This record gives sequence, structure tokens and C-alpha cells, in this order.
Amino acid sequence: MKNRPQVVKEMTSRERVLAALRREPVDRTPVCNPTSVATVELMDLVNAPFPGANRDAEAMARLAATSFTELGFDSVMPVFSIIQESSALGCKMQWEQKDNWPTVRMSEPIWKDVEDIVIPNDFLTHPDMVCVLDAISILRKEFGNDVAIIGKTMGPWTLGYHCFGVEPFLLMSLDDPGKTMACLDRMKEATIEFGLAQIDAGVDALTVPDHATGDLVSGEYYKRFLMDMHAEFVDIIPVPLILHICGRTVDRMDYIAQTGMAAFHFDSKNAPRESMDIIRDRISLVGNINNPETLFAKNPEDVRKEVLANLEAGVPLIGPECAIPLQTRIENLREIPRTVRQWHGEHGIAN
Amino acid sequence: MAELSHIANEFIRQEIDEFLERPEEIERNIELFSRVRPAMQDIAAALIEGDDEEVDRLTKQALDEGTNALEVMDDGLIAGMGIVGIKFREAIIFVPEVLACARAMKAGMKHIEPILSESGVEPVAKVLMGTVKGDLHDIGKNLCIMMLRGSGFEVVDLGVDTSEDEFIDALEEHKASILGMSALLTTTMPNMGKTIEALIDADLRDDVMVMVGGAPVTQEFADDMGADGYGKDALSCVSLARKLAEEGA
Repeated sequence: MKNRPQVVKEMTSRERVLAALRREPVDRTPVCNPTSVATVELMDLVNAPFPGANRDAEAMARLAATSFTELGFDSVMPVFSIIQESSALGCKMQWEQKDNWPTVRMSEPIWKDVEDIVIPNDFLTHPDMVCVLDAISILRKEFGNDVAIIGKTMGPWTLGYHCFGVEPFLLMSLDDPGKTMACLDRMKEATIEFGLAQIDAGVDALTVPDHATGDLVSGEYYKRFLMDMHAEFVDIIPVPLILHICGRTVDRMDYIAQTGMAAFHFDSKNAPRESMDIIRDRISLVGNINNPETLFAKNPEDVRKEVLANLEAGVPLIGPECAIPLQTRIENLREIPRTVRQWHGEHGIAN
Repeated sequence: MAELSHIANEFIRQEIDEFLERPEEIERNIELFSRVRPAMQDIAAALIEGDDEEVDRLTKQALDEGTNALEVMDDGLIAGMGIVGIKFREAIIFVPEVLACARAMKAGMKHIEPILSESGVEPVAKVLMGTVKGDLHDIGKNLCIMMLRGSGFEVVDLGVDTSEDEFIDALEEHKASILGMSALLTTTMPNMGKTIEALIDADLRDDVMVMVGGAPVTQEFADDMGADGYGKDALSCVSLARKLAEEGA
């Protein structure tokens, strides 16, 4: 789809994101963060501070909407963290304050063996799940088809960290791969259930964060434990799926491209062009503006350079690499769509 | 000059030959293992393979046969951990494998520590390590601790979500010469700076060298906060701690 000399009629944000996820022509590159764009400034702007915005549907929807209304992104993402399911599964939580993300107390794991893994009957009616589902409904009602609403359902590898503890889970993967696969197989039910429920609530696409990151495990690990399971998600969950894995991932991008996921949300540790060369036109890429060094600590001009590097590499959806730091300045975030629009003004339709 | 063929243990020879690329590291390890007794090489090899049962057995056997505990630790366990650290840095092995090696290290150290403690052997330095306030992530910190312990440091682990006051109380209690802070979240990184400020307010800053690390942390950020050093990964943490221990001595 690269550099097709094709005239595309003006699209809504929703149409633009969905077309890019399907690798179809777009009127301009969509700006999208499939993890989170919540910041303290945005919380203040719409009176939706953490931790309440993670647990109250109205506040969650208000804060999520700012991605579209205040920043000019083409998508909204109501799930700001990675812990809603883990809370519903019974993990011990630290909900934190306005200036920090909620976290699972992974040093106090709830499961040790395959038999311990039980998806509770009230999983989908747990308040922290209902909050997300209601927020999605509110956003759909408010924005109709104007903006792409992306939901989030955690993959089984990340649930493994939360429910078994990071070290016990990683050691288990080495000591007993068969048991680990059996655990993943049970935990994937949570991923599927919550994903399907979000589709019923009105999402257009789903992010599946599954942190088999290059900082922790090898590319071969991804292939052995997750590639087929991710392909299975594509078969079972009937909306475009965006896989998110942080860190250096070029050694597993080829495997990821084979899963049939609509897109891969990639980290700035992977160069845009190198990543595009590996992925080719098999799936889309979303990313990969650096968070801690650029969006958080630098200026719009630095943001602009990274956006341009992605556009010039042909990355189909542009956005931050991961959930943005809560203290990120709005002007740095607004620079992303501003640069994308300017670039298309100069270059016309790129995709 | 020592040569690879001087090393008795075939597995160690293969590890050096296959996985080490930096000339100075190849030379250092050939030098080290060629002078190390075969029984110690066997311990190092078992550790590199992450075989905790074998390390447990071989360490006990070596001590029972009268080998000095310090020799078992330095020439067996620490020497093995050195290769593990390099393989991890070069992405030849990943965290699960390192965790298994650390478990093997622990299996050997459980026999050695009581002997060293009884004989009053001093560690390289005493290090306090903690993840900062508001942050519950500890895998990076724990890897650093494993590598530090595997390199002869005494480490006091303060765990996660460690407040400025907890760092200060621990420093006063343990009289450590190095304080290490870790953060995975951009939201909690600033708490490293707050802890350094608290050390200044408590008039303790000159008593301790401060090192920081964590996925979003950079050298620039560490400098801005007034840390004495930044470690990119667990192996850098060890070399940094060695440097800080020398500077602080």
C-alpha cells in the first residue's frame, strides 16, 4: 500500500484508523495510541483524575475522549493501565494517586499451579470490568462513528506476570514449558471473554498487550509460547487486533507478522524502517514516538523529528510507543497530529 | 600466556569460544579459568547451565574435601556468574535463564555464606537496593541484586515501593557505602531525585554513592538528579558498583 498514487476521499477519524488497520488506502496517516494518552494535564482539563478515572466509567470516558477532542488523535482508548482484569481475577492492587498508574502487587501472587487458575463467574460483572464496558458505551454514544474506539484486553503472558509473579512465571517457563502452556491456555479465556464483551459494548478494535518483551524473553520464546495463541485470538475475536509488546522486538516481529494481527504497536527501541522491512505488508505497525526521552522530556521540535522518521519509513499509524508518561506536556502530544497533517500537506497522500 | 586449551572443562571452553566476543573479556576469562582448579570449573559450568542441584552438590563436595570457601565462591560461583552476565548483556540468554543461574548461585552460597560470615571475610562493598516509592516493579532490581551478590557484594534488598524515609532509615541502620535505586515507570523516576534530596537534607549524601537504573532512566536523567552513576543493565550495575566502591573508599 506504500506510495500508491490514489485519491482517497476525506475520512472520519474512525474510518481512517480502521482503513489503516486493514492496510487499505487512507486520506492521511492516522494518529493513534492503542495503549493510553492519559496525562495529569488532561485529567485536570476534564476533572477526571486518577485513580478515580480507572474505576469510574463517566470519568474514564471523559478522560479517554480528550485524546480526540483535545489532542486531535484519531482514536480513543478508555483503558489507561494494564490492571483491570487482574483486579477482577483477585490480584492485590495498589490504585495509587493522581500522578501514578495503578499497579498489581506482583510480589503477592494469587496462583501457583494450573489448577489454581479460575476465571471467576463474575469476571465480567466485576466493577473494574463493568467500568471499562460502560465507558466504551458512553464513548460510542457520544461520538458515534466519528472516532475509532479501541479497547484493551490483556494477553495471557501479562496475566501470568500479574497472577503468578514475574519471577515465578518466568522460571516456570524454563523449568516446565508444558505447565506454562497449560497455564497460558487457561488464562487466555480471560483475554477472549473480556475482548468479546468490549466488542458488545462497542469497540472498533482491541489492543492485546502481552509483554513477552525483548527485555525479558527471547524471540524464540514468543514463537514457542505465544505465536499460535495470538493467531487463535485473531480467529476468535472478530475485530482488528493490535498486539502491544514493549522493548526491543525486531527478533520476534517476523513471528508477530505471521499471527494475522491487524497491527503491532512497537517501541522506539526498534527503528521504524528496520521494523517496516521485517513486517513488510503483512500487518500494520503503530508507533513509535519515544516516551521517556522525547515526549516526556523534550520539546515539540524533537517530537516532530520522530514523527517524520516514522512517516518517511511508511509506518501506517503514528503515535507514542506505549502508555505516555502522566506528566507529558500537552503541546508535545499535539505536535504529533500537527506534524502528520503538515507532512501530508506537503506530500499528499502517502499511504 | 594462557590459552583456551589450558582450561580443563570442555563446557567452559565452548562457552568462551562460542559466546564471548570482546577480546579483553576473552583474555580475562581464559586467564581466569586456566588457573582455576578443575573442580571449581565444574561448579562454574553447572552454574552457567542453571543447574542448582548440581551446584549444590559440587559446592558441598568441594567444601567437604577441604577447599577454601573463598576459593569456591570466587573461582567457581563468581567466575561462572561472570560468563552469565556477559551472555545476558549480549542477549544470548534472557531473564528466565539468568533467574535459573541465580537460583544455582543461591544453592552454592547457602553452603558458603555461613563459613565466610564466621571467618569475618569482608564483601567488596555493602549495597542498599530498592525500587522507588510508587513503583512495584522489581525484576530489574532483582537481576542487579543477583549479579551484585554473584560478584562478591553484600546487598540489602529494600524491596519495592521504597520511600525516601525508608532509604534513609536503612542507610543509617546498615551503613552501606552504595545506594541503588530502580524505577520502571516514568511517573516514579522523579522519586529518585527526591530521595537524593532527602539524603542531602539528612546530611547523608556525602556518606553514600548513589547509582540508579531502570528501563526509562537515562544517563542524562541520572546526571540531572545528581546521582553518582547510571547502570544500563545488570552487568553495568556491577561494574558501576565496583567503580563507586573504589571511589568511595
